[in-house]
Amino acid sequence: MTVPAATLLPLDAISFRLPSYISRGGYDAARRTLLSKKPGEVMEEVKRANLRGRGGAGFPAGSKWAFVPPEDGRPRYLCVNADEGEPGTFKDRAVMTRDPHLLLEGILIASYAVGVHTAFIYIRAEYEAVARRLETAVEEARAAGFLGLNVFGSGFDLDVLVHRGAGSYICGEETALLESIEGKKGWPRLRPPFPAAVGLFRAPTVINNVETIANVPLVFRDGAEAFASRGLPRDGGTRLFGVSGAVRKPGLYELPVGTPLRRIIDEWAGGPAEGQTIKAVCPGGLSAPFLTPDELDVAMDYESLARAGSMLGSAGIIDIGDRTPMIEVLRIVTRFYAHESCGQCTPCRIGTTWISKVVDRMAAGGGVGGDPALIRRLAEGMKGRTLCPMGDAAAFPVLSILAKFEKELLETVSK
Amino acid sequence: MAMAEVNLEIDGQALRVPAGTTVLKAAERLGIVIPRFCFHPAFEPEGSCRMCLVEIEGLPKLDLACSTVAREGMKVRTATPRVLQARRDVLEFLLADHPLDCPICDKAGECFLQEYYGAHGRYPSAFLEVKEKRAKKVPLGKALLLDRERCVLCSRCVRFLRKVTKTGELGIFERGVRSEVGLDDGVEVGNNYSGNLVDICPVGAITDKDFRFKTRAWFLRNGRTVCPRCGRGCAIVVQSVCGYPLPGDLRKVYRIVPAENPAVNGYWICDRGRYAVRDIEEGREERIMVKAGGEAAAMPLTWDGAMKALAADIRGAAAAGRPPRLGVVLTSLLTNEELETARQVFVESLGVTAVHFADPAPGEADGLLLTSDRAPNRRGAEALGFAPRPPDLAALTGAVDVLLVFGPHLLERVPLEEAARAFAGIRRTWLFSARRSPLDGLADVVLPTVLSEEKAGSFTNVDGLRQRFEPALRRPQGCRPEGRILADLAAALGVKAD
Repeated sequence: MTVPAATLLPLDAISFRLPSYISRGGYDAARRTLLSKKPGEVMEEVKRANLRGRGGAGFPAGSKWAFVPPEDGRPRYLCVNADEGEPGTFKDRAVMTRDPHLLLEGILIASYAVGVHTAFIYIRAEYEAVARRLETAVEEARAAGFLGLNVFGSGFDLDVLVHRGAGSYICGEETALLESIEGKKGWPRLRPPFPAAVGLFRAPTVINNVETIANVPLVFRDGAEAFASRGLPRDGGTRLFGVSGAVRKPGLYELPVGTPLRRIIDEWAGGPAEGQTIKAVCPGGLSAPFLTPDELDVAMDYESLARAGSMLGSAGIIDIGDRTPMIEVLRIVTRFYAHESCGQCTPCRIGTTWISKVVDRMAAGGGVGGDPALIRRLAEGMKGRTLCPMGDAAAFPVLSILAKFEKELLETVSK
Repeated sequence: MAMAEVNLEIDGQALRVPAGTTVLKAAERLGIVIPRFCFHPAFEPEGSCRMCLVEIEGLPKLDLACSTVAREGMKVRTATPRVLQARRDVLEFLLADHPLDCPICDKAGECFLQEYYGAHGRYPSAFLEVKEKRAKKVPLGKALLLDRERCVLCSRCVRFLRKVTKTGELGIFERGVRSEVGLDDGVEVGNNYSGNLVDICPVGAITDKDFRFKTRAWFLRNGRTVCPRCGRGCAIVVQSVCGYPLPGDLRKVYRIVPAENPAVNGYWICDRGRYAVRDIEEGREERIMVKAGGEAAAMPLTWDGAMKALAADIRGAAAAGRPPRLGVVLTSLLTNEELETARQVFVESLGVTAVHFADPAPGEADGLLLTSDRAPNRRGAEALGFAPRPPDLAALTGAVDVLLVFGPHLLERVPLEEAARAFAGIRRTWLFSARRSPLDGLADVVLPTVLSEEKAGSFTNVDGLRQRFEPALRRPQGCRPEGRILADLAAALGVKAD
């Protein structure tokens, strides 16, 4: 079955305005859902659609919502993660710029399912223009009665707040995001308790990525089965694959979950840039382990990439051409994580910095033979030992570059 | 209802703990101390230092001992190669960013980094890069100085000020390796518990100007006692030097730190109690003093001579057949045992009806530990039947020939002129005081006594809890405890005293 490549992303210039969205059948799915389904049925339908999180971890969205404990008098919150800080990732910006009402409709359905009456969109500070567009969309939806009190006459109330971050990668980590909304420093929280039980302002909280929530209206527009059938049996729908780096047509491509990586690079992104060959590919945002050219026949879904020793992550595909020295890639990767470590826990705070200093020295010609082994040991010292997943995020790409490109790195050292 | 319990196994040893116990605390029950920097028993687990990682059967990653709650059937291992490697790695990370200035660091000898490196580290440095340079002498308010190069960012200080004093002066600013402890909005630490930050700092990042560069931790002798500076009765440790000889065999007290006592002060003491370390050293007198030109000037300046003269004075004032012309002013700084002897001698045997008290003037309570009552044993005095009230000196004049005053605090309760007038109208006034005070000039004889830190006994605190203590310090040579003076007096007078 062929799938139109633009299910999520309309292409016309006014697609972000409410009339355009309504003309495409916008808010019909939410209206039908709120007026005819019980919250529990909504959750079940999302589970049946096999909608998995698009932020990186790939957790099934319906199950995540079901973790929220039964009503206990506390408010509940939905936080939409629009921080999009993962290098190589630029999909959420496209959704919010072109079709903000799709996101709002998704928020409406998800909030109804979970019993949320206040939803936050946490958007990175660099997306100021996008944030303004979201705020306009919220105003439009409120004026039309799609947000606010008694939405569609269903008796359900919902307010949506756009909250700007302050420019920190770690605030894309869900518990740091909660701290940031609470007005605190963006430091990840120790788990347990998990946000579903103790989240924003200590209330039960669901945190979903923009793309995840934007897929929710499609589940109810087309039905769970139709949605699921677009992807893989355990991973429904399409994904927005961002392709950047040494390719002819870098850009954002919406394709079914499970599309092979090589096909995305060669057929959609036009193959390697002029006069270059691909040397390395990071398939899921910078935190994903790098793949070599002979590893590109992998399907772009969570399980397949995990089997290939990498991860789908945020599906941001970064292609490294053969003109780029791997020491330079390593230098940029390690500098990024050293710069963005929140500093809370020891292995990440010092591990990222130490590694970055060693790589800088190597890149400046001061490397010694033991450096790759030292970096590997330091990265192993972070992996699985940190308070939040960033220790892994910082270790994975480094370890994969060391494992797959050690020869080239050692040449740097001996030069 | 019986509290739910769970069974678990740590390093092959089975134990049963109350539900909700963390792995770290369960291990401590077996005597297994899991290393930690950020964990402090007074606070919720923080989980940021990553030093306490342990292996839990069935879980793929190492887990935090400080925050993981024991579950039924859990099997924990605290010393596998993986665990030891993780500890070594965390230590290596911390030491890579540490100045290693132990030779001039006040914390040396009681530093977690040093201790753990000895126990779990012992590897050569692999760090070839340039260390981070940071400020090494940041004033934080009161006596506190922060060395940011030594800081391991455990956030204990930040949490103490947020959770205990609720004053929140400190925060952690910046990000990543640039993270640093600093003053929130520039407002300095000004609360009455600032000194605890030095104690809870696991390394030498926060130091005390009062102690800075003065001695080494391993020279200190620890003496545990009860703080006498208010009615709370916090457990304290008085630290005096013992390791190398001081000129003329001088005693020197360096520090007062809290001792753990869950029933009273938990882990903390107030700055008023802590910096009383100066009171122990300063304003002391070891000699018996008599007023020049007075009638007592002929008295031999020895304890034997003084005690004979005192007994003679009391005998003369307490002639049979009439109420004794003897006035007694005690103080709630005396121990229960001393007060009991005083009661037996003066009230029971000699028939003194009006026993007065001269206690330190009350101050403000701080809502945490410090009470408004600044005497340590008021409740004890009351329990012995005393009504600890200051004397009406005008009424005493003419009614007594001999006045005994214990403690230097009378002038905090009555004006100097009034006391001078009254003392002048009394044939002989005896002052028993551990500290110099303007009262010395008014008394005919001043006998040097000892501080509670230098004696054994018990105080009854503001909540009625009676706490015994032993001498925490060697007393100055010329000084005698009031308890001994009272016992000797009873013997000389031939009156009964236990």
